[in-house]
Amino acid sequence: MATGWRPDFENLVDEHQSMVFSLALRMTGDRGLAEEIAQDVFLELDRNLGKLESPLHALLWLRRVAMSRSADALRKKRVRRMDFWVEIEESHGARPEPAVSPLGARLEGLLATLPEAQRAALVLRYQEDLTPEEIAAVLDAPLATVKSQLQRGLKLLRAKAETHLKEYVRGA
Amino acid sequence: MNDVEPRDDFERELREAMQRQPAPPSLKRGVMGRLWHRAERSHHRVLWWQRIAASVVLAGAVGGALAWRNAEQQRKGEEAKRQVFTALRITSHALREMNAQMAERNTKE
Repeated sequence: MATGWRPDFENLVDEHQSMVFSLALRMTGDRGLAEEIAQDVFLELDRNLGKLESPLHALLWLRRVAMSRSADALRKKRVRRMDFWVEIEESHGARPEPAVSPLGARLEGLLATLPEAQRAALVLRYQEDLTPEEIAAVLDAPLATVKSQLQRGLKLLRAKAETHLKEYVRGA
Repeated sequence: MNDVEPRDDFERELREAMQRQPAPPSLKRGVMGRLWHRAERSHHRVLWWQRIAASVVLAGAVGGALAWRNAEQQRKGEEAKRQVFTALRITSHALREMNAQMAERNTKE
């Protein structure tokens, strides 16, 4: 279907690099690895530019590929028995930008300790503001599964926050 | 959980914590650099194939020229041999003639 949209690769990189990098960073917890994943995603985008039909298509494609490449990277890490997420997070200083409050930064740290599937659902929900239906489409998972992962992930995160974050007072 | 609005302070705090982070400047530089290297590698591959094709053509031309020169030398050798045999035949004929004339003269004497 020809739509007449001519994608400009450099503009797409400028526009979406923050989204792709943040998804990869929150999924892997390693800034270096996240940057490598983001570069790979954009190189793959360059190879597939001709197949993209609209800016929205490019955005959805980038989100899906970023999540998929991040999952691949985590799988490779597990295979190499190097799944030191928290340690790497601490030693490499994968800290949120100063715009995020200290409490927010610690919440993000706790998010990193959730199981991968729950983390993926929560990242897409709260970083990208996606509905469960959209998350299901990005992760290529059944809607019921995504809803369950969101609920369980949020519940687990709340429990961890109440245990670990003294500053966090429910409902404050 | 059908809308994207946070339901309480915890979700609001989480959403705030999960804002997109700016990508490092090295990301775009890295992407453009790797693209440039990929184009460069592809260009080098084309150059190598062109060199290989040129070498094959050159080797064919040199081989053909050598084969032609060998065939030409063989042809010239055959020609020279044929000319030598012709000369020998003529000489032999002349000697037979002379021999016959001498034999005839001896008989008359």
